[in-house]
Amino acid sequence: MLEIKNLIASINNKKILKGLNLKIKPGELHAIMGPNGSGKSTLANVLSGKNGYEIAGELKFNGENLKEISVDSRAQKGIFLAFQYPLEIPGVNTNNFLKTSLNSILKAKGKKELDSISFLKLVKEKSSELGIDEKFLSRQLNVGFSGGEKKKNEILQMKILDPTLSILDETDSGLDIDALKIIANGVNSSRNNKKSFLVITHYQRLLDYIKPDYVHVLSDGKIIKTGCSDLAEELEKTGYTKLS
Amino acid sequence: MIQNLEINSNQISQMNKMSSKQRKFRIKNLELFKKIGFPNKRDEDWKFSDFREIVEKNFKTLDATEIISKINKIKLIKDFEHNYIFLINGNLDSSNFKYEEKGKIKISSINNETEYQITDNPLICLNHALAKHGYTLEISKNYRFKKSLIIYNFFTKDIKNKILNSKNFIKVSENSEVHIIEYTINESKFKFINNVFENIILEKNAKLRNLSIQNNQSEGFFHKHLKNKQYNKSDYSNFIFSSGLKFNKIDIECDLLEENCKCNILSGVFLNNEEHQEIKTLINHLAPNCLSYQRVKKVLSAESKGVYQGKIYVKNIAQKTNAYQLSKALLLHDSSEFNSKPELEIYADDVKCSHGSTSGSIDDDSIHYLMTRGLKKEDAAKLLIKGFLNDVVELIKSNSIKNFVQSKIEEHVNGHRTD
Repeated sequence: MLEIKNLIASINNKKILKGLNLKIKPGELHAIMGPNGSGKSTLANVLSGKNGYEIAGELKFNGENLKEISVDSRAQKGIFLAFQYPLEIPGVNTNNFLKTSLNSILKAKGKKELDSISFLKLVKEKSSELGIDEKFLSRQLNVGFSGGEKKKNEILQMKILDPTLSILDETDSGLDIDALKIIANGVNSSRNNKKSFLVITHYQRLLDYIKPDYVHVLSDGKIIKTGCSDLAEELEKTGYTKLS
Repeated sequence: MIQNLEINSNQISQMNKMSSKQRKFRIKNLELFKKIGFPNKRDEDWKFSDFREIVEKNFKTLDATEIISKINKIKLIKDFEHNYIFLINGNLDSSNFKYEEKGKIKISSINNETEYQITDNPLICLNHALAKHGYTLEISKNYRFKKSLIIYNFFTKDIKNKILNSKNFIKVSENSEVHIIEYTINESKFKFINNVFENIILEKNAKLRNLSIQNNQSEGFFHKHLKNKQYNKSDYSNFIFSSGLKFNKIDIECDLLEENCKCNILSGVFLNNEEHQEIKTLINHLAPNCLSYQRVKKVLSAESKGVYQGKIYVKNIAQKTNAYQLSKALLLHDSSEFNSKPELEIYADDVKCSHGSTSGSIDDDSIHYLMTRGLKKEDAAKLLIKGFLNDVVELIKSNSIKNFVQSKIEEHVNGHRTD
């Protein structure tokens, strides 16, 4: 599904990713861990298509060259990024935004767009599934949301937009244990043999609830170690310094 | 040089039914206008909107003689039930107050014998000299309108290189309330100037909500001067959503004459390419414990210009004044221009007055966020623009009117290319 070969990414002439290799197959959940400044968020940004990066290397999604695909088309093709810091968009109603968003994705897939009634039904279903109060969907997008609410909103968006590859950029940081469970539940309930996940995190804590198929350690722009879920536990004990 | 702009006292002499006092007043104002001419940027009030230059650039000929036009049918707004007044080129054509009690509302053509103060604003002088048309609306004591009143402000397609002058007067008596929506429909494809002078009186406990919105893009050059007098506990709000004109200056002067008055000026406009819009306010806090609140937001497309000049004056006796003003501009292009001049003149020592002004372009990170959810760049930008204006629209209490305004703004924004 996702194939990254020797990815090099620089911003303002500063090299952040220095030859990263990663392959994610359908149905797999990969976790990327690593110290601050190792390039975790850059990887998420590059995959989402954010402007400002100079990129070399191979970046393929379902065989297509991602570098040539615009941000919105990536979303339409099934890539979703849960932001580390979801943006506040004043004046934009969360429900209206989500409906526009979902319909643009459905339209791109050649599927029938949802009317307001069926959309609201879907939202109700997904938010109760996640145990999220649907009231905050009638508020302005992320405006005045607590850190936890913003992250839950990202996961709800993920559930509604139903992507094939979800990238979670430190979605767990700053969350209390209840919120963490909601996030984990959102991921676990979406897992199947067609959907893949890339979970970026600092801590092993999230991986107590989400069992990854692979854990990678990112350090100084490269993946320096790959293992199974035990690797996360080992890191929690030893820290990153021993590895690098 | 502008041809045909021959305004002389003959024109005034030809007006019938006029007292000699009225004739003198008109002639005096005409002389004042002739002496100054159209206002230019040397006048502080016109600093950012050089009207003389604008007129000279856009009009080769300009004609101030009267025009009487008839129209067959005006398409009424179906979104909500309402009373209405039809103005055709500023002239009161007809009215319908079918939702209201009889005898509570008086509507008539403007009474030309009303006395006005002489001012140094040349466009008001011109209006005082020539305006014959307009309406007078008086609402009796203790009467609350059951439905809104829409003023269909219709301009006919034969208006070309004209300067129209009209005058309106609205009086809301003690304990009465009305919501007025001014809805401008312009069928003229040509350039013309519309110069309006409006007087509003709000008696004790009276409430007036005023909302203005434009139906379509047009080549009109509009100037409106509003002069309000507010008495004890009266409550005035003016929502300005009108855009689509080549030039539009709304000049609001509000006298808060007695205690506990409220005055709100709220605006959210989307200016298309090459539009020029100015809101100028002067809120005179002349009595204690009054509140004024101004919130002005503008989205500026390429080559458009937005101006906000907001002044708050607080007289020495106007203690416990609470006055606030904020203007924000969203610039969509390098060639968009926003000028903001907040002014506070305070002579009382126990007051709360604040002002702020910001301008900036659309945030790239927000665009990116929305695009990662599948929205095209242009749609993401439009969503952000609507969001920017929405916090003014949200202040409209009636849902049906709010939806109507939202749909109009949506039409303006969606009809525009953001790239």
